[in-house]
Parts: sequence; structure tokens; C-alpha cells
Amino acid sequence: MLRFLSKRVVQIVILLFIYVTIVFWLMEALPGSFLDKYLMNPKITPEIRENLKRQFGFDKPVLTRYLYYMKNFLVLDLGVSFSYFPKKVTSIIFERLPRTVFLFVTSTLVSYAFGYTLGKRSAWRRGKVIDQVTTFTGIVFWTIFLPLLAIFNIWLFGVILGILPLNQFIDPNLWRNVSFSAQDLFLKLLLNAFIFLIVFLTIMIISRRLKTINAKRILLYVSLIGTIIISISIWILSGRAIYAWDIIKHMVLPVFTLTLYSFAGSMLVMRDTMLDVIREDYITTAKAKGLPDKVVRDKHAARNALLPLMTNFVISLGFTISGGIITETMFSWPGLGRAYLEALSQQDTPLLIGLLVFTGVFVLIAHLVADILYAFLDPRIRY
Amino acid sequence: MVEAIIKEPLWKIRLKLWARSFKTGWELFREKKLALFGLSVIIFFAIFGLVYPLYPSIMRAVFWKDDPFGYQTFAPYDPIIGFDPHIMNHPSPPSLRHPLGTDPLGRDILSMIMYSTPREFILGITAALITVVIGTIIGASCAYYGGVIDTFFMRLADIVMLFPSLALLMVLSAFIDLTLFRLALIIGMLSGFGSITLVLKAQALTIKVRPFIEAAKSTGASDAYIIFRHIIPNILPLSFLYMMLNVTGAIFTEATLSFLGLANIRMSWGVIIQMAESSGYLMGASIGTYWWLWLPAGACITLLCSAFYFLGRGLEEIVNPRLRKR
Amino acid sequence: MLLSVRDLRMHYKTKMGYVKAVDGINFDLDSGESLGIVGESGCGKTSISMTILRLLPDNAEFKSGSVFFDMGNGPVDLVKLDESQMREYRWRGISMIFQAAMNSLNPVYRVGDQIIEAIQNHFPQVPVDKAREKVAELFELVGLDPSRMDQYPHQYSGGMKQRAVIAMALACDPRVIIADEPTTALDVIVQDRILKEIRKIQKKLNMAMIYISHDIAVIAEVSDKIAVMYAGKFAELADSVTIFKKPMHPYTYGLMHAFPSTVGEKTDLVTIPGEPPNLLNPPKGCRFAPRCPKADELCMNEEPRYIEVEKGHFVACHHPVKSGEVVQFYEQ
Ligand SMILES: Nc1ncnc2c1ncn2[C@@H]1O[C@H](COP(=O)(O)OP(=O)(O)O)[C@@H](O)[C@H]1O
Ligand code: SF4
Ligand SMILES: [Mg+2]
Repeated sequence: MLRFLSKRVVQIVILLFIYVTIVFWLMEALPGSFLDKYLMNPKITPEIRENLKRQFGFDKPVLTRYLYYMKNFLVLDLGVSFSYFPKKVTSIIFERLPRTVFLFVTSTLVSYAFGYTLGKRSAWRRGKVIDQVTTFTGIVFWTIFLPLLAIFNIWLFGVILGILPLNQFIDPNLWRNVSFSAQDLFLKLLLNAFIFLIVFLTIMIISRRLKTINAKRILLYVSLIGTIIISISIWILSGRAIYAWDIIKHMVLPVFTLTLYSFAGSMLVMRDTMLDVIREDYITTAKAKGLPDKVVRDKHAARNALLPLMTNFVISLGFTISGGIITETMFSWPGLGRAYLEALSQQDTPLLIGLLVFTGVFVLIAHLVADILYAFLDPRIRY
Repeated sequence: MVEAIIKEPLWKIRLKLWARSFKTGWELFREKKLALFGLSVIIFFAIFGLVYPLYPSIMRAVFWKDDPFGYQTFAPYDPIIGFDPHIMNHPSPPSLRHPLGTDPLGRDILSMIMYSTPREFILGITAALITVVIGTIIGASCAYYGGVIDTFFMRLADIVMLFPSLALLMVLSAFIDLTLFRLALIIGMLSGFGSITLVLKAQALTIKVRPFIEAAKSTGASDAYIIFRHIIPNILPLSFLYMMLNVTGAIFTEATLSFLGLANIRMSWGVIIQMAESSGYLMGASIGTYWWLWLPAGACITLLCSAFYFLGRGLEEIVNPRLRKR
Repeated sequence: MLLSVRDLRMHYKTKMGYVKAVDGINFDLDSGESLGIVGESGCGKTSISMTILRLLPDNAEFKSGSVFFDMGNGPVDLVKLDESQMREYRWRGISMIFQAAMNSLNPVYRVGDQIIEAIQNHFPQVPVDKAREKVAELFELVGLDPSRMDQYPHQYSGGMKQRAVIAMALACDPRVIIADEPTTALDVIVQDRILKEIRKIQKKLNMAMIYISHDIAVIAEVSDKIAVMYAGKFAELADSVTIFKKPMHPYTYGLMHAFPSTVGEKTDLVTIPGEPPNLLNPPKGCRFAPRCPKADELCMNEEPRYIEVEKGHFVACHHPVKSGEVVQFYEQ
């Protein structure tokens, strides 16, 4: 295992260097630069111009700058943004990261949970009406033009039903006279969600030990509802509940849209794999053992379909990232995807490179985690 | 009897075999209702696009009899420079003369959609064709040669897969003028060097170990001959299936780039929606009021994309029930 | 009687029509007894066992018949039970060793856990440690090292998996075990050893067994009674000595003569000229008629009834082979 992992890490590092190099030179090849645009400004005197050039490092040849960039990259320094000068690229990324991570993680979790459940049910009832309907709807959502879905959702929930705000991250009117920042509050919300997740996982582990299904259910419901009540009361007591609620309200539509768009990917993979698994002899054996249908489906069939589902997750990461960029644009959600589009239009090369590099790192880490998870999911895999 | 068989030319036998396998494939395919649905949608759009040239003349004959002057001067059905002077405020809602209304510049939306249809097909199919040609050749060669060639292309695929394709295309749009053909070329190449090579290589590997490859080698056939005459024909069904799935991706990507205003395409379904967005009709409460600006075009993108996907999935169940990826 | 199957009929619905895989099967089985079912592959052997256990694919249509099964409180017709009642009988009443034993174990669970699962499913009050003891016992019984119960299937060899599957079949002390080609995938030496062991265990636990195989040598080794199956029907059923010494159905006769003695060299069944009929569209009269040297007008038009000619000896033939008669099979 360790040997495999270290080999894999070395591979990943090499891959990453090649990737960063390509990204750097690609950006270098971009015609014109932020600086040209910026320096057109007649108010800037020649001295300041020279000064700026030096500050941005444009007085040196490209190769030097490349080596310099790589050196900095090693210590996780991605340089200084042009358009947000003198903010560091890393600090911009980390400021926006939580929002994107939230959008990404929630929609991924929800869509995989949905995809898993729907996919296995639909495969189990192959050819029946629910199978046909879910497959059809799934594919339509999977291939829907995402901006169309976003517009449609904004229209339906924001305009027709009027229950959700249209876009943006917060309602500026509400936040005019408050002393704390939205970012701060958002991080607390994230923390809360994280605690919730931990509680949920703990309960799941504990409930495995319990004998009857009823006891499991009661424990699950009581503790989950308890956690929800406690968190809500803390928020109310702190007096910031309406602000938190404002953020949550703004989050619903983007998360919902991205989830709707991507759940079918996992659903279709789950369904197809399940159909293969169902034909296996150990499924007949499980039925012959007199196990209830649901146990055969969930414990024996669905469990074996998890691995391809993981693979699908890794493969479709790039796809999800594209979906994230579109969603953030459509909902004016100030995350990394929006930052990317802005950086592109501003020709803010360091930020562009930084964002691409960051995505690369993220994807590679996901690959590594997937490799480790494989070994847990399938006892046949031993590195 | 034997002589009769030999007398028949080889191509005729091939054709017969091909026809037979096509027939059994069709029998299987006919049962996949969703795939049939996809095929009919594709055929519908093909016809829809082909009859575009008739659309203005039909409209003129039916609705412009009383005003030949206006029709001639302003070309109300030109998808790019058209304008209808009889309507005060553009965009105007659907009416008899403009079944899907007009856009902010006074152009006929239905005309724009029909005009774009063949272009979507060309883009999607060109891109997918490039992807599949590259993927098939590389996949087959990697499987056949192994070694350095294999390692090189597999690592290349790793790197290509690292780039989120939309993000990369967005950057490329800054220094390449993304016309329809260039866009098709780039989309095709990006996915051609990516994950498709892995799948096709896996398939080619199963063929490489078949006895007829060994037999061909022992008769002294060249590598290229074996790859092109023995390996590739056997992975072609799978390639074809991936082609269908890739059409979906290509059309989607084009629409997104056009929508973001990053492609240099004069008219396409994505451009229609971008037009609505950039002139502010997708903001706030007016979205629903001006639905004809985005809904028909968006629905067309979605329909055509899912049609190819349905078709691909239907073929997949015939060609290969095991390998599945997006 | 432990198990009585009466007039069992099950057909598969396909695009081309009905595959008449199980078409009027009758037999009885007492505890401690072992019945062997032999027949060419595709004649419907597996379908019989799946019909009894009601583990049929979606396109299967149960036509008629009853399966009376006695768990000690009087015979119950399994056919009439609903799904949840039927589950009670699976594994506890009738368990199975499947044709593809290699793939009968779920790759992602420990072998021991899969056996414990079966035990706890039928006896929920049994605690895990008791169940583990039972598994250890079973492992000893089938000749596996009990310490292997916490390993995964892929860590087992083919023969070991086969033993584990046998242990699993024994887990709930079933009344009947159906072994469907239990050793076909194994090499001959392992095959032989495992057959002997199954037989030993069966004798020891006084269980009833149904062996299914296309290989008459295997069946001969382990069965008290033998049923010869042909195209969805039983051609002949008798105790194994009678089947070998005094076969009355021409098909059985052909089998025995294609395969000279129990000790001789193994020959495949297909030495009887011709092909088994297509079950989609079997011959109108006797299904064996197209291949039978004794076939006449009557055989072509009328199906022979399956009757008991002597005590415990059933034959379905208009012109049974008399003792001493020589039937000559010709290449058609
Ligand atoms: N699900 C099915 N659908 C249609 N035909 C089937 C199905 N399963 C088996 N058959 C057919 O039924 C016949 C009996 O099959 P089976 O019981 O597996 O035979 P055996 O076990 O004796 O080899 C075969 O001709 C087989 O092709
Ligand atoms: S019934 Fe006739 S055809 Fe059938 S086995 Fe007997 S003799 Fe042969
Ligand atoms: Mg069988």
C-alpha cells in the first residue's frame, strides 16, 4: 500500500509539474496583457510605468519568469494578482474557495446520494415504468443546456413562485449596517454544516451496532433533529439568524440547479453497473439464501456497484468543474468559477494561472483519494 | 457449392455479412424505445434544418402578400441582418409572421434557429469524428505496440484529462479566433487525446490477443496493415458509439462558449441566448416575459444533445453492454 | 414424503415463443435419499431447481404443478406461498450448491460473514459468536481451515471456494440440498474428492440431495435414484442399479451403451446420433422420436405417458426396451 502510494505521489508530482508548465506557457502565449491595457492609462507617468513593470516582473525574460514561478509554486506562492493588485493570488483563491467548495460538495453529495438510490432502484425494476421514467428524465437533465436550466429555475422559483432570491451571494440591502462580514458568517455556517456531517457519520457508525431497524431509525431521527434544533437555536440566540438565513436562501438555487444537472451522471452509471451485477451468480445465491429483496439489492448488488461509481466520480470531475463555472456565472455566485471568468476578461494572467493550477492540484488529489478508497471498497485490490 | 462461394467476390461477401449484422443490430435497436426516440429527434432536426431555405418563401407567400415592398427591403427572415419594420418594439412576442417572435434586433427567432441547425450538426459531427479518428488510431496503436508509444499517449491522456475542457477553451478563445470549424477541431482534439483513448485501447487489447492477429503476423503482414485491417475494424462499433456520445459534448460546449460570448460564431443556438443575456432580457423579473428569447433555442440545444445521447446509449447496449462512461 | 413434485411446468417467454424448459416433471424424494438428474445441457435441469426454489428470471412463466415440501409439520405447496413465506423455506428447507460455485460468493464480503448472514437471516436470535462457532464447525466438516473464514473469496482457490459454498449450503441444516453441477468447473481430481465428501456429509447428516449433472459418471457415483431428463421431461426414473442394468427408455439405453461401464473411459453423452430438439418447438409426439430407432407412427403423434412400470421405476415410452433386447442406433 505504502509503496503504491509513494509511487503514485511521485507520478502525480511529475504530472503536476508538466501541467503547471503547460499552463504557464499557454498564458504566456496570450496576446496582449493586462499590463498593456493598464499602462495605456495616460495618468501613469513613465517612472511609475517602469516601476510597475519591475514589480510585476515584466522586465525580465520569460524563461526567468517561468523558473521564478516554478520556484514560488514549490512554496505554494502563486504570485500577485493584476486586477486585485496587490492581493496575492492565493489569498483570492482562499477567500473564494469556501463558497465554491460549498457549492461543489453539497451538490456532489446530494447528486450522488440521489443517483445511487435512483440508479439502484431503477436497475432493480428494469424495464418497468419507473425505470423508463427515471432513465428518460435523468438523460434529459444530464444533457440539458445548463444555462437554460439555470434561467428556468430562476424564473420558476425566483419570479413565478417568488420564494427564492434571484442571484448574488447576499441581499445587499439587508447587510448595509452590519459590523461583521458575510464571509465570516458563511464560514460559521460551513462549520455548522461540517459538524452536522460529523454527527451524521458518527450516528451511522453507532447505529450499525444496534440490533433492530426501529432502534436505528429512532436514534437517527432523534439525533439529527436534535442537532438541527440546537444549531438553529444557537443561531437565533446569536442574533445573526436572519443574516445566516439570507445566505442560505441565496445558496439554494445554485446548489439545486447544479444537483439537478449532475445527478443523472451517477444515476446512469449506477443503473448500468447494477444491471451487470444483478446477473452475477452471487446475487442468485443471496436470493436463494432467503434474504429479503431489499437486502439482496442494497447489501449485495448495490455494494458491488460502488467502485464504478467512484471511477465515474473521478472521470467526471472535469465535467463538474465546467458545470460549476457555468452555474456560478449564471447565479453571480462569487466563487472560483466566477473569478476565472473575471480574470479572463481582465487578462489577469497570474490569477488565471493560479486558478488553473489550483484546479489541477485539486483533481490530482481527488485521484489519489480515489485510489485509496478503491482499496477500501474492493478487497480484491491490494496495492 | 464450394466453387459458387469462391466465385462470389470478396466485397460482396463482406457486404452481405455487414448487411446481416446490421439487420440483427437493427432488430435489437428497435426494441430500445429511448434510442428510437433519440433517432427520431435527430431526423426531425435534420429535416428542420434542411427545409430552412423554404421558410422565408413560405412566409412570404402566406403572410406578406400585401406588402412585397417591406419584404424585399428589410429581408425580415434573414437570420443575421433581418429586420421587420412593421413591428414597433423589438423583441416582439410570437405572432403569425414570427412564430417564435423576434429578438432585440428585430430578427426572426425561428429563422435564426433553423439557420443554425445544420451548423450544430456540422460542428457536433465534425468534432466527434475528429475525436473518434484520433482516439481509435491511438487506442489501436497503443494496444498493438505497447511500450514507449503506449506510455507516451497514456500520460498525454492523463494531462489532457487534467484540464477542465471548458476552462481551457475559455483561455484559448482569448488568442484563437474560435470560428465554427476551429472550435470543432479543438473540441475534437481535446477529447480525442483524452479519456476515449483509454477505453478504445482497452477494447483493442482484447482484440490483440485473438488468434487471427497472430496469424496475420505470421504471414508477414505489416504493422500498419494489421492495425488498420484487423484491429480497427473490430473496435469500430465502439468508436461509433463514442462518436454519438461525443456529439452531445461538442454541441454543449459550443453552446456554452457562444453563450459566454467567447466564440466567434455569427449565429448558433448559444448565440441566440447570449443575445438575450447581453441585452439584459435575462435579468430579474423580465425573464419570463421574454421567454421566446431563450426557451426555444435552449430547448433545441437540450433536445439535440439528449437525442444523440439516447441514440448512443441505445447503440451501447447493442455494441458493448459492459464498458460505460460518459 | 419430504419433497413431492407433481406435474411441474415452467416455460420461458421469448420473442420466438415459449421455451418449454420444464414440462410436466414428477418425482418424490425422501429424507436421506439422493436423486440424480442427468441430461444433456440445455434440457432444463437448472430450470427445475430454480422453479422449485422460485428463483426465476423475469421472463419465466410458471404454468402449473405443485411442489409439496414437508418441514416436519405436514406437506406445504411451495407454489402457493407468497414471497415472504417462500423466503422462510429457502436455504432452511431447501438450499443449493450452484452450477457456478466459483461466482456464488460475493467478492466484497468475507466468506465467513456470508455464511453467518444466511444463519442470522433464518435464526435472528443466534448471536454472532454462536454463528461463528457454527461456521467453524462447517469449515471443519467440509475440510477447510476455520481460520480462513475471515478471508475474502479471492484469497481462496477454486476447490476451496467450492468447499466454502458447500459449507454455506449446510449452514441452516436444510432438509434438501440441490447441487447443480457442483463440480463441473473443477479439475477431475478435485472434482472426485469433493464429490466423495459431499456424499459422506450427506450420509452423515442424513439429508436429502438432488444432484444435477450432464455427466452420468458423476451422477452414478453419488445417487440412489437417477432421473434421466430429455427436452424438458423425465424420460425415465429408477434406482441407480436398475437404470444401469435394466434401462427401459431407448434414450437411457443409448446413454448406457454410449458409456459402457461405470469404470470405463468417460465418453460424452452426444454419442447418440442427432440433436436434442429445440424447446421452442418440440416434436408433437414423443420428444425423442426423431432420434429414436424404435420410433413409429404412434410415437410421432402421441406423447407417451410417464408411468410406473414397476415399483419405483417410471418410464415415458410407448415401446419400452425389454430386458435382453438390443437397440441399434444408426447415424442419420
Ligand atoms: N431466461 C431464459 N430465457 C429463455 N430461455 C431460457 C432462459 N434460461 C434458460 N433458457 C433455456 O431453457 C432451456 C433449459 O435451460 P437450463 O435449465 O439452464 O438447462 P440445463 O441446466 O439442463 O443446462 C435451455 O434451452 C435454455 O436455452
Ligand atoms: S415413445 Fe417411441 S420414440 Fe419415444 S422413446 Fe419410446 S419408442 Fe422411442
Ligand atoms: Mg444447468
